[in-house]
This record gives sequence, structure tokens and C-alpha cells, in this order.
Amino acid sequence: MKAFKNWNARSIAMAVDLARQARADGQSVSFAGGGTDLLQLVKDHIPNRPGQGEPDVLVSLKGIDGPSRIEMTTGGGVTIGALATLTAVSESLVVRDRFNAIAEAAAVVATPQIRNVGTVGGNLAQRPWCWYFRNGFPCYKAGGDRCFSAGGENQLHAIFGGGPSYIVHPSDLAPALVAFGATFRIAGSGGERTVSAPDFFVPPRTDAQHENVLADDEVLVGVDVPAPAAGTRSTYHKIMDREAWTHALSSAAVVMQMDGDVCRRASIVLGGVAPIPWRVPEAEALLAGQRVTPELARRVGEVAVTGARPLAKNAYKVPLTRGVVERTVLALASRA
Amino acid sequence: MSASWVGGGVPTSPLSTSSLGVGTPTSPSAAPRQTPSQSVPQLAPMRTVGHGVPRIDAVERVTGQAGYTRDLRREGMLFARLLTSPHPHARIVSIDTSRAVALPGVRAIVSHFTHPDIVYSSGSIAGGAQYNDTAKDNTLHKRYMFGNPVRYVGEPVAAVAAVDRHAAEEAARLITVEYEELPFVLDVEEALAPGAPQIWPEGNIGLNGQNQPRPLGGRQGDPEAGFAAAHRILEGRYTTSFAQDAQLEPRSVLAEWEGDKLILHTPTQGISNCRHDNARDLGLEDHQVQVICHYMGGGFGDKNGSYYHDLIAATLARETSTPVKLEVTRKEDWLGTHGRWHTTQDLRVGFTNDGVVTAIQQRAYSGMGPFLRRSGGLSGIDAYACPNVDRQIYPVHTNRTVSGNMRAPSEPQGFFPIQSLMDDVAYAVGMDPVDFALRNMRRPTEQVRFTNYSLEECIARGAELFDWRNRWRPTPGADAGPIKRGAGFAFMMFRSGVGPSSAILRLDGTTGRCTLFVGVTDIGPGAKTTMALIAAEELGASLDQVDVVWGDTDRCPYSVGESGSRTTIMTGYAVVEAARDLKRQIAERGTPGTSEVLIASATPNPSTQGRQRLCFGAHFCEVEVDVQLGHVRVTKFVAVHESGRILNPLPARDQIRGAVLQGISMALKEDLLYDARNGQPLTAGYYGARHLTHLDAPQIEVEFIETDDGFGPFGAKTVGEAGIIHSPTAVGNAIYNAIGRRMKDLPITRARILEALA
Ligand SMILES: Cc1cc2nc3c(=O)[nH]c(=O)nc-3n(C[C@H](O)[C@H](O)[C@H](O)COP(=O)(O)OP(=O)(O)OC[C@H]3O[C@@H](n4cnc5c(N)ncnc54)[C@H](O)[C@@H]3O)c2cc1C
Repeated sequence: MKAFKNWNARSIAMAVDLARQARADGQSVSFAGGGTDLLQLVKDHIPNRPGQGEPDVLVSLKGIDGPSRIEMTTGGGVTIGALATLTAVSESLVVRDRFNAIAEAAAVVATPQIRNVGTVGGNLAQRPWCWYFRNGFPCYKAGGDRCFSAGGENQLHAIFGGGPSYIVHPSDLAPALVAFGATFRIAGSGGERTVSAPDFFVPPRTDAQHENVLADDEVLVGVDVPAPAAGTRSTYHKIMDREAWTHALSSAAVVMQMDGDVCRRASIVLGGVAPIPWRVPEAEALLAGQRVTPELARRVGEVAVTGARPLAKNAYKVPLTRGVVERTVLALASRA
Repeated sequence: MSASWVGGGVPTSPLSTSSLGVGTPTSPSAAPRQTPSQSVPQLAPMRTVGHGVPRIDAVERVTGQAGYTRDLRREGMLFARLLTSPHPHARIVSIDTSRAVALPGVRAIVSHFTHPDIVYSSGSIAGGAQYNDTAKDNTLHKRYMFGNPVRYVGEPVAAVAAVDRHAAEEAARLITVEYEELPFVLDVEEALAPGAPQIWPEGNIGLNGQNQPRPLGGRQGDPEAGFAAAHRILEGRYTTSFAQDAQLEPRSVLAEWEGDKLILHTPTQGISNCRHDNARDLGLEDHQVQVICHYMGGGFGDKNGSYYHDLIAATLARETSTPVKLEVTRKEDWLGTHGRWHTTQDLRVGFTNDGVVTAIQQRAYSGMGPFLRRSGGLSGIDAYACPNVDRQIYPVHTNRTVSGNMRAPSEPQGFFPIQSLMDDVAYAVGMDPVDFALRNMRRPTEQVRFTNYSLEECIARGAELFDWRNRWRPTPGADAGPIKRGAGFAFMMFRSGVGPSSAILRLDGTTGRCTLFVGVTDIGPGAKTTMALIAAEELGASLDQVDVVWGDTDRCPYSVGESGSRTTIMTGYAVVEAARDLKRQIAERGTPGTSEVLIASATPNPSTQGRQRLCFGAHFCEVEVDVQLGHVRVTKFVAVHESGRILNPLPARDQIRGAVLQGISMALKEDLLYDARNGQPLTAGYYGARHLTHLDAPQIEVEFIETDDGFGPFGAKTVGEAGIIHSPTAVGNAIYNAIGRRMKDLPITRARILEALA
């Protein structure tokens, strides 16, 4: 791997400043959380920021204290610092109690070792795991001008929202956060800004190279999840090629506000099937005000995949996703 | 004699030194070993072997004290890195190293242009017979340390030695190679089509020992008459995928020269073969090469003998007169060593309505990559008694990565297709697959005798343990609901041949300890411990009275190498004979006094006098298939094996479990995917190849039927490879029983199941 400098930031402001200085000196910079993903990219000589060279400098955020906390807000929501580890999220009583899908999503990421070190910020900002990108192809995601999966090996690729890039968003946390309507706090040279979850993730038609709105000099500071309405329950269901240590082939984060056995509102966000966490509003609408029967769950599953546009080698993801949605909706509704 | 090393302090039946005399039976093993016996359900227990002891080096290993090759350091040593081919097939026009040489810390760069003549002889062998010098000399398809043209992505092009890892790696990236890209081919059938890119001037069929492009296999009996006599014929096309050996420890080599002697620390399964091949490739005598491998992180065949890494490190060390350690990345290891050959197979089976197989035909292509590192053969059909067989197996060259021996090299990808088709035949004639196997499996005959035969017992015991009659569905796919259960069965027989090896025992009168010198390494099954157990048993000593010296060609005698499941049988038997020699000497001269030593040795080359010596096994698997999500879960797996006497039940059981898991992984997960447009591999490494994880591993119930056929050490047979041979088939047959769809392509992924059911 290329030799690089590691600078430990003590505050977010310092991190932003260190990055600016390095950039002013003509160096390529990356922010590092746990480094579980970033260091592998460095070892494989894959650009972390599209269009930039391998990092000369890593600005490590690990030593910053504040953003590693997970705290309940006065309104009953939760603030999850970007430096919180995935293990901390999965074990947080607040998250488990009120935002179960987020805890379940964190708990099925990769492996225990990666979850102990990997952070929320790194999980949300991780680069795609498309085998073309990870094998060094000069694709959009590396700063190039092609997607190799379109006419190639696309078994793991997008069935929704693809083009011109067909990656799937790799984060398990992302669908759960979108389903809960989280907002993202971002700090950069120009100060702080807040972005809603659907605006944080960027479809390839808008920007084929980046997966989110973070600029090169911006740090994700934390995620704020609003208080759920009374009667809300949630779950995250992930399908993989094996039981651990790999990303979702298809997943569903489902949040339902229940009133007895009637579903008042539902949000359903899919993972592993689109370049961004993929919301299925028509399927959600079917549930509003309804008693959830097996027959309704089946229709919800069907409607969830009506817009699917599979590629040559990933048609199996359509029945798979239909099944995941059907099962997850039914299981959540019948949970005591 | 000082401390009573023989028998002293051993609570279980201590032996007095006098009992070590000639001809005094100390154990059942000392009975004449020439008489083959029938399988004995209950063997009389022995003193030391058979009781389940932890490995003698377990503590060193789990506490991190064991020094693996990568841990080794030498004062001032250099680090080496490879530059590998990014193209599946290309001619190297030029290599410009000027920028790399200019980098501070770079000491040497070697490539095809600096060393065009060093042949890596065990990497491409006419006929693929790995221990045959003539075939290595004769092959028309010479493989070089650095080849030109390059024929697969990942083939080494150059190597750099520098003062640290960063400099070596950066320098490798600063080398500019000009390539002329050549047409490439990835598919075995396309490679044989007219007009296919030619990887060798002789064409793309692997050459046999006489350099002829002939298929393996051959004819037996009268296949045409057999098919004519059949009431029905079933046929099918099957594919099996490339599976990397995927051992945890990637290759690394530390090479140092003392004058004109080369010392190679290298992870190899066979130090003797590794020494011999490196010596011949570097123009040295065997005694000028010392190969040392004390601890190894797994092999599975990937570490048989020598590898080009040894040659590169040795060359760099010679160029720089400095010790050089070559290390590779996981990806370089995955693509640059080898894995199980993938296959495409067309099979036909003729049979009568009462379920007797009358003829079998096989047309198969084994994908070998650009070099014939090993044979490309396929077994499985030979497990049936059918006398009329027509087999043609073409080892085919492609521009994929190289194939070679992985745990039971020709077996699982040979057994899966034929035993899947035989399963179909059983259903077609309305027979239970177990009854069908009992009717058609191979048995000893007047012409071909076995040292013993226990397949029936294995099958009967397995069926009972598994509760086959209740778990197997006479109508496949009959379960209601999205989650369907099914049961599958497969059987095997596999070589357990005897052969030559050596062992030395030294009894030191001063210390009172016995030292065993054996040329084994320890790739995982615990060979060191097994050898010590065998010596202790035969000597009537306790295990802790025997020290083992292993893994060093300068200190240990020849051993066959830990491949082909031979170490316990061959080297273990040499240990028995050496111990008998020692006992004879003690009987003649008495035990050695202070400052005296006794040295005993043996190089037996036993024979079964024309009888076949095989191990046997039956696997029973139950799966649950979620037809909505395409998920397969193995819910029960019973493996019953006859591997002769089990010398150490702890690792033996683990060997079967590990092999079964590897087989399940092969059945359901592993592949190496290529992009057909550019010949690039996409899924190298554990993440991409999707091996099973601990969470995917089901409980595997293992039972041994123990026998002593009079051969090997106390009757021990093959264990290490036995468990992977038929486990993928048991899984595939169970999936068929669950869903009623025959999955003919490995791996049976979620995607393939959903597509089959769509
Ligand atoms: C083998 C393997 C399997 C995996 N499987 C899964 C999986 O199943 N599901 C899943 O969701 N994830 C998976 N991951 C990804 C894993 O979750 C991430 O590696 C981890 O969460 C990243 O956290 P980190 O703190 O180590 O990030 P780093 O490696 O430090 O950084 C990752 C990326 O995020 C950027 N970054 C990090 N922190 C910030 C920040 N605060 N602001 C802005 N940018 C930042 C970095 O520059 C880099 O681009 C897997 C990873 C591996 C290695």
C-alpha cells in the first residue's frame, strides 16, 4: 500500500481545517472513521474520492469525542454521532427500544470485528462494493465515464433506479435511517448544514460518481432521528449470499405505526437493489389504514417490485425482493 | 539408561523394557501384516492411538508463539513484491524499470528479460503427474518463472526487492510494461472450437505424458452393447465451478544463500518434493537446497511441492546477496496459485427397468487454465459396478487462472455429476436412491480384490443414524408451503494406497528421550502428533517421551509430502518400522547407557499385492429450501466413514467435518467469476468467492466404522480428503428431493434456485 500520513483530529473543526490545509498543499485527503473500508481501498489502489488520487493524508476522526455518542433528544428522538461504532448502535437501548430497525440493521453489517471498529459515518459514506469498482476498473465511481456492469456481470446490481451507474447502495443503516425520516448533519469549510435522508443519497442520474452529497471537504457529524409516533414498530430484514460478512442482495426496512391490528402509516425502504436506499411509496400506501392480512402483505410485495427493471443477470432479485417485503410486512404486523 | 522412557510412568499397561524384544507382540499391530482381514466392527482398543489427544503443538499455535513463514525476519533482509499481468493473454514487448530503480531503497528487479530461462517445472507437466521428472523434462508447454507471453491475469511479470514493503510495492507499480494484447478464451468449449485463440502452438488440449493431445478416460467392456441392452437412457449436462483452495495463509517465502547453498523457508506440503523441484529448476543438487516449513496456515493442495514464488525469492536473494522475503496479497495468492478445475460434463446412463445400470458415457472438459499443473482427471464413475463405460475427459487450456490439486483433486467435481444423474435414474425406476446404490455400487470381484470392503456397513449405519426412511420423500418437492424439506444421499470409495517413506528414531541414553525424525510438515490434520502417537504406540512409550523433528529437509528423511492423503499411511508406517528396528536393537544390545545412543531407521515400501486399498463413506444430508427466497439451509448432515483404524479421533473427526463443510461451500457458494468481454476475474478473495462462514456451518455428525485390514500403521487409511468427495452431491440430491428440480450447475446459488423455480 502507498505510504500515507495519518493526522488525528481532536475536533470536527480541526478535522475540516487539517483537510483544508493539506488540500492547499496539493495533497489528496480522505477522512477516516474506523478505516475498515478506507484502508482496503488504499491497499487496493482504488480511489476513495472519485477523480482524486490515492490519499496522501488521512484525517482520522476516531479521536473526536462528541460525535461518538448516541443520545435521546428531549422530544423523544435520537441523535447518533457519526463516530459511534455499529456495535454501539446495535446495543444502544434507546435505539433498540424505539428505532429497532436501525439497531437490527447495524447488527447485520459485515462481521462483529468490523462492527466493533466501523462507524456510522463510515458505513453511510462507504464506497460501492461493485466488483468492477473494487477490482480497479475505471468506472464512474472511480472517476471514469462508464459502468461496466451494464453489459457485464450484474448479478448483484440494481433493479431499481439504475443508470448510468448500476451499483447498489451498500449501507444497511441507510434504508433504516431513511425509513425513520432521519436528517444528516454535515460540517465543512463553509460551516454546518443539515440534509434530510432522501436528499443525502444521490441517484446516479444526478451524479454518477458520488453516492451522497458530501463534498470533498465535508464531514458527516451525526444523524438525527425524529421521535416516532405512538404505536410505531420497525424491523430490518436482510438477505445475503451467506449468513455474515457480506452485503445485502436485497433488504427491507419497514416502519409501521400500528393502531391495534390496523396499520396507520408505513414506510418501506429497500436496500441492495438500487443505487440509493429505495423507497416504495405505492406499496406503503396500500398499507395505510388497513388490517394487515397475508393477502394484503402479498399484494404489498407485488406492488413493491412493479417498477423493477432487472438487468440481464439479476432477474432473481425481483421475486426475492417481493418475498422479502411480503414476509417482513407480515411478520412486523403480527409481532406482539 | 536414565529415566525410564519406555513404558515408565505410563499408567495404562506400562511396558517393561524386556517386552520390547524381537517378535514380542506389543499390540495387535505387531501381528503379521500381510494377511488382509475382513472388516471388523469392533476393534480392540490400543494403548496410545485411538484415544483423542490434542495436538502436541496446540499451545504454540493458539498462543501465537508458532513462527509461520511470514513471521520470520533476518537482520537487513529485503522485502519483495510482485508485478502481475493485468491481461488474460498478452505478449510482453518491453519492460522499463528506470523509474522503479530510481526509487530509494530498491535493490533488485527481476523479470522475463533479466531471467528468461528459469523453468518452473512443477507448474506445467506433460500429463500432470506431479512426481515424475521425465514428464517435467519432456513437456512442450514449459512454464517459466516469468513467462512471455503471459497467459492469465495474475501471472507474475516482474518482482522487486527493496529495503521495506512500501518501497517494493511502489517500485513494482513504477515499472512500465508494454504489452501486445492477444485474443483470449475463457470457456472450455470455446477453447476447442475452430478458430479459437491458441494458447499453445499444439492447441488448447492439455498434453499427456507423451505430449499428445489425448483425452483421459477410455473404454471398458462394450458400451454400445450396454446402451442397446438398456430399457431406458437418461442424460444430462452438468457444470462445476472453480474453487480456490483458499487456505488462510497466503504464500510467502524467505530465501537466504549460504555460499552456494540455498535455504528456503516456504510454506509447502512436501518439503522433499519442494527441495527437489527447486534444485532442478535452479540448476542445483538436492543437497544444495534446504527447505524448512515448521508451521503452515493450511494448504489443501495449493501448497503441494514448490511454487514459482520460491524461485523468485531465491533469485532476488542471489542477485542482492541478502536474505529476501517475498510476500503476496490475498488477491495475488488467489489468482496466482491454483484451485479445483472447473468442468463441463455430458453424461449418459443406460439402465434396466429394475434399476441395473448397463452403460455409462462421459464427455467432459476440465478447465486447467493455461498450464497443466495437474491431470484434470475426473473420478466417480469408477464407484459403480457397471462394466460398460466410455469416458473421454479433455483437460482444456484457457486464459483463466491455473487449476491444480485441491483436496481430493478429481473427486467432488467428478462425483457430483454422475451421482446426480444416478439419483435421477433411481427416481426414474421408482427406487429409493439408497437401494439403487446398493444394487449398482462397485464391489470387489474375483479379478479385482480389495484389502477390505465396508461400504455397505457405512451406508447402513448412516441411513440408521440419519433416519433416512423417514426423512427422504418418495415424491420430490411434495412439501406444502414455501419451506420445503428434502433428503439426499451419496457414497464414495477413494484410494488409501500404501507406498514408500522414511523415518528415523534416536534413543538418547543421556537424556533418556526418544526423538523421531520425519519429513512431514503440518498442513492442519496434525501430522506431527500422529507420527508421535504411532511411535509411542509401537514403542510402548507415552506420548510425552517422544520428541518430533519435522519440516526441515536437512534434518529429516524423505517423506511423500502431505498430499494424496498419504502421510499417515506411508510415513506413519515407516515410523512403525523404525520403532520395530529400535526395539530389535534394544533387544540385542540393551537400552543405551549414559553417553550412548541408538539410531533406528526404516524405509519400507509395502505392497498390497495387487489388491486395491480404499476407504469408504456415506453421506446423508437434509436441507430446507425456502422457495420464495431461494435459501438453502442444511438442517442435518450425517457422515459415516471407514478410514481404517482412527489413530487420533479428535483431528480425524475435524478433518471429516472440515471437508464436508468445504464440500457444502462448493455446492452452494464458491465460484470465480470472469467478465467475458475483457477476461478479468471479478470475485477473487473470501468476500467475492463467498465461502461459508461460521454462521453458515451446520452441525456435522461424524461416525467412523473402524477396521484393520493389516496395512498402513495399525490399519489406518485416508481421512483428510475423504469427506469432501461426495458431500456436494449429498447436498444437491437433497435439494432435488426438496424442490423437485435437478440443479445441474455448481454452485447452487440462491439466484439459480429462484431462476429454476421462476
Ligand atoms: C468485508 C466487509 C463486509 C462488509 N459488509 C457490510 C454489510 O453487510 N453492510 C454494510 O452496511 N456495510 C458493510 N461493510 C462496510 C462496513 O460497514 C464499513 O466498512 C464500515 O461501516 C465503515 O466504517 P469505518 O468507520 O471503518 O469507515 P472508513 O473505512 O474509515 O471510511 C469509509 C468511507 O467513509 C468515509 N468516511 C468515514 N467517516 C466519515 C465521516 N464521518 N464523514 C465523511 N466521510 C466519512 C471515508 O472517507 C471512506 O470513504 C463491509 C465492510 C467489509 C470490509
